[in-house]
Formats: sequence, structure tokens, C-alpha cells
Amino acid sequence: MKNLLTFIGLAAIMVLSLFLAVITGDYGPWYFAWLVGTTMVVLISAAGAIMFDRQDEEQQQKQGSIH
Amino acid sequence: MDMLINPTVVELSRLQFALTALYHFLFVPLTLGMTFILATMETVYVITGKQIYKEMTQFWGKLFGINFALGVATGLTMEFEFGTNWSMYSHFVGDIFGTPLAIEGLMAFFMESTFVGVMFFGWERMSRKAHLVVTYLVALGSNLSALWILIANGFMQDPQGGTFDPNTMRMQFSSFIELIFNPDAQAKFVHTSIAGFVTGSMFVMGISAYYMLTNKRKDMALRSFRIATLFGVISSIGVITLGDALGYIDGQKQPTKLAAMEAIWNTDYNTVSASWNLIAIPSRSEQKNIFEVSIPYILTPLLTHSETTVIPGIIQLEQEAKPKIVNGIKAMIALKEYNLDRSNTQALSTFKQYENDMGYGFLAMQFAPDQDLKKINATNLPSVLDKTAKDTIPNVWVEFWAFRLMVAAGFFMLALFAFAAYFSLKNEIEKHPTLLKLAMWSIPLPWVACEFGWITAENGRQPWTVFGWLPTFVSASSHSVGYMVFSLIGFTLLYSSFIAAELYLMFKYARLGPQDDHHGHGHGSAPAGGGMAGQPVFAKPSMDRK
Repeated sequence: MKNLLTFIGLAAIMVLSLFLAVITGDYGPWYFAWLVGTTMVVLISAAGAIMFDRQDEEQQQKQGSIH
Repeated sequence: MDMLINPTVVELSRLQFALTALYHFLFVPLTLGMTFILATMETVYVITGKQIYKEMTQFWGKLFGINFALGVATGLTMEFEFGTNWSMYSHFVGDIFGTPLAIEGLMAFFMESTFVGVMFFGWERMSRKAHLVVTYLVALGSNLSALWILIANGFMQDPQGGTFDPNTMRMQFSSFIELIFNPDAQAKFVHTSIAGFVTGSMFVMGISAYYMLTNKRKDMALRSFRIATLFGVISSIGVITLGDALGYIDGQKQPTKLAAMEAIWNTDYNTVSASWNLIAIPSRSEQKNIFEVSIPYILTPLLTHSETTVIPGIIQLEQEAKPKIVNGIKAMIALKEYNLDRSNTQALSTFKQYENDMGYGFLAMQFAPDQDLKKINATNLPSVLDKTAKDTIPNVWVEFWAFRLMVAAGFFMLALFAFAAYFSLKNEIEKHPTLLKLAMWSIPLPWVACEFGWITAENGRQPWTVFGWLPTFVSASSHSVGYMVFSLIGFTLLYSSFIAAELYLMFKYARLGPQDDHHGHGHGSAPAGGGMAGQPVFAKPSMDRK
């Protein structure tokens, strides 16, 4: 039941997103660009932070193997 | 309309609005950007489960909270100012302009204000994911707030979605869709919102650089720096792209703004080799640039995105305005006659014929004898036409230099973010103290760019409050000079105290940094920061601190 509700919820979000994409894509191209661009900048910055943690761990492992 | 308009009161009203708007916009961009940066940090916390990202969100959230509170305080007065100081404007376009303002208050501002409380106090009261949703709602709410304000501003720049009704003597809604999807509003919203992202990025990057230089919580500083530089470099590209789009849109709707922005006095019909002024000293009285450094072959593609579009110069635009002024005078006289006698169908018909130029008739009022258009005759008409035509051009010097300073700051920030992101991604940023110092000292730059951006947008729209329809000259309320001076001094003192409070608190808590602040709480000192009092800030030691 929980899975079904999750599926329905995600499907509703997808329909809403498609609707917004069609409306803003047709009438408000710059609004659409903002939606896509803001999502992109948040995801890339978050990925950058996760990448930092990975780099940090690798550096610590290297230092550990030297000592 | 029969009462004489005092130009001093109009100028003082303009000065007061410019002052309050520029003060207010010292707080707004940081809110727009910081909310999404906080959401990014919290996203990483929810994905990785690492405590340090929670600490980062809470620390930067505290600085955001100081700014948010003062931003709200300065914004509230502005909405009332439309009614108190710009009553003719509010009467003329209130039906249209008031709608996005009301939606902003009822939808976006209430949403952002409600969830900002939950964001600050809800850390221990809800799940990680639920809190993350709240943080995103704050970010969305603050940017939606900006959206509705900029839709209202878009109407002032390019009045779409409204028509003038001669029976009510005001502009009324014709299309809500046209209002919200106005290209000027769209480009301006994205440009402004992303400028806020750049401001937030520079703020976080600069303070993180300070922590690295002073060896304070480097674990947090390095991670914050990484997020801020990536956020900043992409946002800077976006803000420049949207700036170009906004210039292109404005150039089509407001050729006077474009000509002033580029100090183009004469039309160059040789579009391919037309020169773009890199720097210039424009002279309004001589109608030329006293000094200029120009680069050929750039102007037309840069401004019109084509090789063949002719860009009209200021002198040509003044000449083109004259027939509109004549039509506008006819429209305004006919409108007045119709309002004295509603059965006068001839007057209504004449008004309808020249309706599209009625704003130019309003504009001519200030140069007509006793501000009465009916007193314009064959003898004084050329003088009224000349003065009114010259008045259709904004202050060229201010427009030219405000635009250039904004652009210069924008490109400098892009370069700074690019270098900082490059060295951060290589994990070598600490080897470049000069770059860190530059990042720290560049913190004020996005604010400078934002303020000059608004000066470019609003000075360039002059002499209109609603472009082509309602001049600034007739938009102001009929206060006394004494009242305006008194309220202007009051606002200056009040807002200056807000700025002083913001700077004091920001410097205090930024200098203290998360580590020192943690000790303060640990020793049981009273938690400062008003709204954030009592929340657990950086209290838990992190395993992955260096």
C-alpha cells in the first residue's frame, strides 16, 4: 500500500512537472530556464561538495599508507 | 489635473523612493541567494548524513537570519510608499500593479515567512527530509516573492496586460496571462534572482576565505568554499546571459534607454561597422560625447543580435517623439472634454484616435503654460515640443556609467569564481592566499553590481513610471516640500540604523565564526541572534574535522 501511495505521489509530481514545463516552455521560456537552471546549479554545487569529501578521503588514505 | 504640480516635490519623492529601494535591495539579493545555498548544503547533509553539513547549514543560516529580518523591515515601508508618495500612480495603475503586489504578500511572503520559522526552530522537531523540504520552500518562497515584485516592475517597464479606460480614468486589466508572461518581467526576474545567487555565493566564498586565512574551522570553510564557487561560477554565467537578454528586450521596447545606456547620440546607418563605446563622457547640453573610446564592428551584434538592425540615436529619438507629443496633447485635451461631458462622443472619438500617445500629452503638461495643455498655441508649441522631446531621454551620463560599472563588476566576479572554483576542485585553494584575500575583499562587489543594475533599469525608464503611458512628473502625491524633506530625513536615519545594525551583527558573527560561537554556547552564554536563540548550533563534535 505504501509503495502504491509513493508511486501515485511521484506520478502526480511528474504530471505537475510536465504541465509546468509545457506551460512555461510555451509562454515563459525564461521562467523555464530559471526552473531548470536553479535545479542544475543546486545539483552541481551539491555534487561538488560530495566530490570534496571523496577527495578528502583519498588524501587521508594516501597519507595513511605513507605513514 | 488642475492643481499645479510642484517639481521639487516630485524630485524629492523620486529621491525618497530611490533611497528606500536601494537600501532595501542591500538585503534582498543575499536572501535570494543564501536560501538556495542553504538548501544545497542541507541536501548534501541529507544525502551523506555527515554532521558537518548540518553545522554548515545552521551557521550560514544564522547569518542569513540577520539579513532576512532586516530585509523584511525595509521592504514593508516601500509598499506603503506607493500609496503615500505616489498616489496618482496608484490611482492610474493600481488595479494592475496592486495585483502582483497582493499575490506577493499573500502567497510568497507568507509562505517564506512561515517556513523560515520552521526552518530555524524545526531542526530537532522533524525528520531530516521534512526539514529539507521546508528549507527548499523558504528558498522557493523568497524567490517567488521576487517574482511577483518583478512582474509588477515588468509592467512599469513594458505595460502589457492593461488598457486605459476613459470612464474610470485608470488602466484596467485586460489579460493576467500577458502580465505574468511579459518578456521584460521574465528576463528581469531570472536576472535578479540569479544576481542574488551570485551575491550569496560571494558572501559565503569571501567569509570562507577569511576562515582559511585565519585557520578557523577549515573543514567547514573548505566545503563552504567549494559549494559557493561552483554556485557562483554557474550563476555568474547565468546573470550575464540574462543581462544580455534583458538588454535586448528593453532595447526593443525602450529605445531611449538603450541609446542612453550606450551613449549613442547619432544614428549610424552603417550597421556593420557601427562602433560600441567602451568608455565615454556624454554631454547632454552638447548632445555628443566629449570623449570616447570606441570599438568598431561590435555595437550592432552586441545590442541587436543581428548585423543589419539600425540602432536609433538620441537625436533621432527626440525627433521621433515630436509627432507623438502632438498626438498626446490632442488626446489629453479630448479626454478632459469627455470627462466634463460624458455625452461628448466627438471628444471620445478624438481621444480613441490618439489614445496610444496620451502619455506624451501628460509629459507635455510640465512645459505648457500653467501646466494647462489648452494654453498651448502656435507660438509656444515649438518650445513645448522641444522641451518635451528632450525630456523623453533619460540622464545619459548616469545610465551609461551605472551600466558599465554593473557589467565590469559582473565580469570580474565571473573570473574570480572561475579561478576559485578551479583551484578548489583541484584541492589547491589554500596554496593561493592572494586569491583568498581577493575573494574576501570582493564581498561588497555583488551589492555594488545589484545597486548599479537597479539604477540602470529605473533611471533608463525615465521620464516614465509606466513606460509610454504615465510620466513620473504626474505620478507623485501633492505633498508639501516640508513633509517630503521631513520624511526623507526620517527614512535616511532609520534605514542607516538598519544598515549599521546589519553590518555590526554580520561582522560580529562572521568574525566569531562557528568555532568561537560554539564555545560561547558551550559556556552557557545567552544565545544571540534573536530568531535563532536556543537552537543547537555546532554543538556536536564532528568525526571528520581536520
